[in-house]
Amino acid sequence: MFSLYSCVPKTTTKLQEFPRMYEESPLSILILPPMNESTAADAKEYYSTTIQEPLTYTGYYTFSYPLTTELLKMEGIYDSELLADIPLAKFKEYFGADAVLFTTIKKWDLCYMVIASNLTVSIDCSLKSTSTNRELWKYNGTVVIDLSGGNSGGGIAGLIASAIVTAVNTAIADYVPYARQANYRALHSLPYGKYHSRYNKDQNIEFTDQTPQEGRTQ
Amino acid sequence: MKKIIFGATFGFLCLAIIGCAEKRMYYFGDYSQTLYSLEKNQTEDSLVAHQQELKKIITESGKQNTPVPPGIYAELGFILVKNNQPKEAIPFFQAEAKQYPESSLLMKRLVQMATTRDAPESNSDSPIPGAKQGQLENKGESIEK
Repeated sequence: MFSLYSCVPKTTTKLQEFPRMYEESPLSILILPPMNESTAADAKEYYSTTIQEPLTYTGYYTFSYPLTTELLKMEGIYDSELLADIPLAKFKEYFGADAVLFTTIKKWDLCYMVIASNLTVSIDCSLKSTSTNRELWKYNGTVVIDLSGGNSGGGIAGLIASAIVTAVNTAIADYVPYARQANYRALHSLPYGKYHSRYNKDQNIEFTDQTPQEGRTQ
Repeated sequence: MKKIIFGATFGFLCLAIIGCAEKRMYYFGDYSQTLYSLEKNQTEDSLVAHQQELKKIITESGKQNTPVPPGIYAELGFILVKNNQPKEAIPFFQAEAKQYPESSLLMKRLVQMATTRDAPESNSDSPIPGAKQGQLENKGESIEK
């Protein structure tokens, strides 16, 4: 049954949604290479060069991503798919990581329509404990960025100007800030780590509940 | 103009998400940009540029009296090891461990690696002399000495 209640985005709190984070209090996070389910070959590089900064701002010790991915390659682990086979305890043993961040890039869609274009980035994140194997946190970050030329005046001249600006914006767009924004969006529900000034004081911070609800249309 | 608006919005979003602090927690400079260029282009120039950015982050952090962000010392140390400057790398690994005790296990491993690399009798072809391939898959084997 479809109910009016399901039209309103439900909010939840950090403690309500992620109690295991507060139980285990991981101090350090290892960021793993992402799985790329999008159609953009570049998406992996955009993600992997912009994830570390937002994660450190959340207050965790984050291992240097370029360093650890290279160490993993030296161990023969090139493929993100291979990571799923490794027991989580091994990441604790080898790196000293309390938790491991798994990410899947669901979308990196550039939609170009001459006078309008936008970029949709969608990332699924999951944090798993290396000591208990439990999933401690999970969230999706989606951003839609408008790359359009905007209002360039009326008439045909305006439309052409708009089209040119859109094309230029799309062609030269520096996607790094957009990728970073998507990462910030995904991480905003993550309980703060030890280095954050509000560590262990954020239990009641609210955010949109992403748990699928009955009656919601997708 | 769009970039300015975007930048302002993005800056606000960052503050909203990370919590409004009077002082920024870390200084990252253009880290993502130089790292992206390096990953994408894989040229000597892009490596030098990224290395310069890492050094800049360290000096700026000192000037702004904020801690060097997690991973920065370690990343610079690792670049030095790969550039055949293992001796110069060791202080960076030690700095990382001192700043962030959570990194001690890995930093100890990297110091060991750099020390082995620096040894004159080392003639191994392995990129990490002293490390065995497939350590992560060897169950039950103790890696730490």
